[in-house]
Amino acid sequence: MNSLNTYLFMALLLFCIGLLGLLKRRSLIGMLISVELMLNAAGLNFMAFNRFLAPDPAVGQVMVLFIMGIAAAEAAIALSLILALFRKIRSVNVEQARQLKG
Amino acid sequence: MMAEQLYMFLPESCYLLMAAALFALSLPRRQSHRRIYAWALALSLLGVAGAAAALAARGEMFFTAYRVDLFSQVFKLLLAVATFLVITICGDLAGVEERYHPEFFLFLTTCTLGMMLLISAVELMTIYLSLELSSFSLYLLVPLRRGDNIDVEAGVKYLFIGVTASCVMLFGMSYIFGAVHSTYLSEIMDKLPLWIHQPAAAVGLLLTLSGFFFKLAVFPFHFWAPDVYQGAANQVTAYIATASKAAAVALLIRLTSLTAGTSLYLIDVLMVLCVASMFLGNLVAMVQSDLKRMLAYSSVAHAGYVMMGVLTMTRLGYAASVFYAMAYLVMNFAAFMVVVKVAGEGQDLKIADLAGLHRRAPLMALTLMMALFSLAGIPPTVGFTGKFMVFTAAMEDGRFWLVLVGMINATISLYYYLMVIKAAYLAEPADGQEPLAISASTRALSYALIAGMVYLGVFPQHFLGLAENAVKNIF
Repeated sequence: MNSLNTYLFMALLLFCIGLLGLLKRRSLIGMLISVELMLNAAGLNFMAFNRFLAPDPAVGQVMVLFIMGIAAAEAAIALSLILALFRKIRSVNVEQARQLKG
Repeated sequence: MMAEQLYMFLPESCYLLMAAALFALSLPRRQSHRRIYAWALALSLLGVAGAAAALAARGEMFFTAYRVDLFSQVFKLLLAVATFLVITICGDLAGVEERYHPEFFLFLTTCTLGMMLLISAVELMTIYLSLELSSFSLYLLVPLRRGDNIDVEAGVKYLFIGVTASCVMLFGMSYIFGAVHSTYLSEIMDKLPLWIHQPAAAVGLLLTLSGFFFKLAVFPFHFWAPDVYQGAANQVTAYIATASKAAAVALLIRLTSLTAGTSLYLIDVLMVLCVASMFLGNLVAMVQSDLKRMLAYSSVAHAGYVMMGVLTMTRLGYAASVFYAMAYLVMNFAAFMVVVKVAGEGQDLKIADLAGLHRRAPLMALTLMMALFSLAGIPPTVGFTGKFMVFTAAMEDGRFWLVLVGMINATISLYYYLMVIKAAYLAEPADGQEPLAISASTRALSYALIAGMVYLGVFPQHFLGLAENAVKNIF
C-alpha cells in the first residue's frame, strides 16, 4: 500500500507543479508544457490505481493511451493557435495580448 | 439486430454524414458560400429529423459504454434544433473570412456530434473523449473570425482555460477510478454512495464536475465567457451560448445523480458555486457596454439558476433544470439572432448601437424585448416558467435562503436587461442610420421564436412532462 501512496503523491506533486506553472508562466509555450504535466499527472494516477487496486489490469492502460493521443491532438491545436497569435502580435508572451479586458 | 443498432445511432449517424459531406465540400479551392450554406442547412434539417425520429430509441451500445434512453434523446433533439437554428442565421456569415466558410460549418457539425456522443456516454473514457471532440472543434471555431486580433486572443484564452478544466476533470476521474475500480457510471453509481464519505471520492467527483462547470461557465471557471463571447464571430457565440450549455446541463445531471444525494459536502459546494455565479454574473453584467459581454455575464448568472435545480438532486429539481435548459436555449437564441441581424457586417455590438432599433427594425426590437423579458423572468414568457420551476424545486427541498438569493438576483438582472430595452425602444436612432432590411425567412423565424417563448411559458405541461419522464431514466 505504501508504494501506491508514493505514486499518488508523485502524481499530485506533478499536477501542482503543472498548475503553478500554468499560473506563473507568461510564455504560451511554457503554459502548454505545464498543461502537459497536468495531463501526465492524471495518467500516472490511472496507472498507479490500475497496478495496485483494479481487478482488470487493462482499463488504466487503455485510459493512459487515450490520454496520450488526446494530448497530442491538443498540442497540435494549441501550437497552431499560438502560431496564429505570433503572426499577429510577433510574440508568444501573454502580456502582449491585452486587447480583451477579461 | 443491425437495423436496431442503426436506429439507436441515427442522430449521430446524421451528423457523421453531414461532417463527411462538409469535409468533401471544403476540399475544392474555391467554393460559393451559397452552395455550402444550402448543403449545411439541408443536412442540419436532416439531423433534426433524425433526432426526432430516434426519440423513441432505447438500448445500450459499444460494450454498454453508450446508453440511449429518453434523457439522452431529448437532449439530442435539443442539440439538433439548436444547431439547425444557428445554421439558419449563418446566411451571410460576414464575420468569418470567405475561404474558411466550409471549415466553419464542418467544425460546427463535429462539435454537435461530440456533444451528442457526450450526452449518451455512460463511461468515463467515452465522456472524456467526446467532451474533447466538442471542445477542440470550438477552440478552432473561435479564432476563425475576420479582422482584428481579438479573435485569436480569445481563442488562445478559451483553449488554455478549457484545457486546464479538462486536465482537472481527468485528474478527478482518476480518483474516482481509484475509489471504485471501474470507469462505468452504472458501477460507480452502485459503489460511490459507500465511498463518498472518503475525501478522495468526494474530491474526485467535484474535480470531475469542473470540466462541465467550464462548459456552463459556472463561477470559478467563468473567466473565458466574456472574452470568448466578444472575440468569437456572432454566430459562433450564439452556438456556444445555446447548444454547449444544454450539453453541459445534461452531463452535470448525469454525474451529480451518481451520489444519489448522499453527499452533503458536495451539495454545499454546489450551493456556494451557484450563489457565487448568480451574484457575480448579475453584478458584473450591469457595467458592461458591449452587448455580447453583457450576455456572457448573464449566462454566468443563468448557470447559477440551472445549478439551483441540479443541487437539489431530486427528480423534480432535475426536471426543472432540464426545462430551464430548454427555455434558456430558446430565449438566448432569440437574443443572439437579433445581435447577428443588427450587426450586419459581423461587428461587435455596443448596447448604445441599438439606439432606435424600434424605428429601424420593429420586429427585431420586439424579438429582442421578448427575449430579454424572458431572460429576466417576466411572465408570461418561458423564462418566468423556468425560474418558477427551479425555485419551486429548491423550495420543496427546503432551501428557502437559496430561493431568496435567486429572487434577489432575478431582480438585479432586470436592471441591465431593461437598459438594453431602453436603448432599443426609447432612444432615437443616430443620424444617417438606415432601416434594416429583414428578409422574409428572418421574419418567420422571429415570429416563431416569439410564439415559442410565449407558448412554452403559458403551456409548459407537455414539455415539463417530457423533462420529468427523461430524468426518470437516469436513476
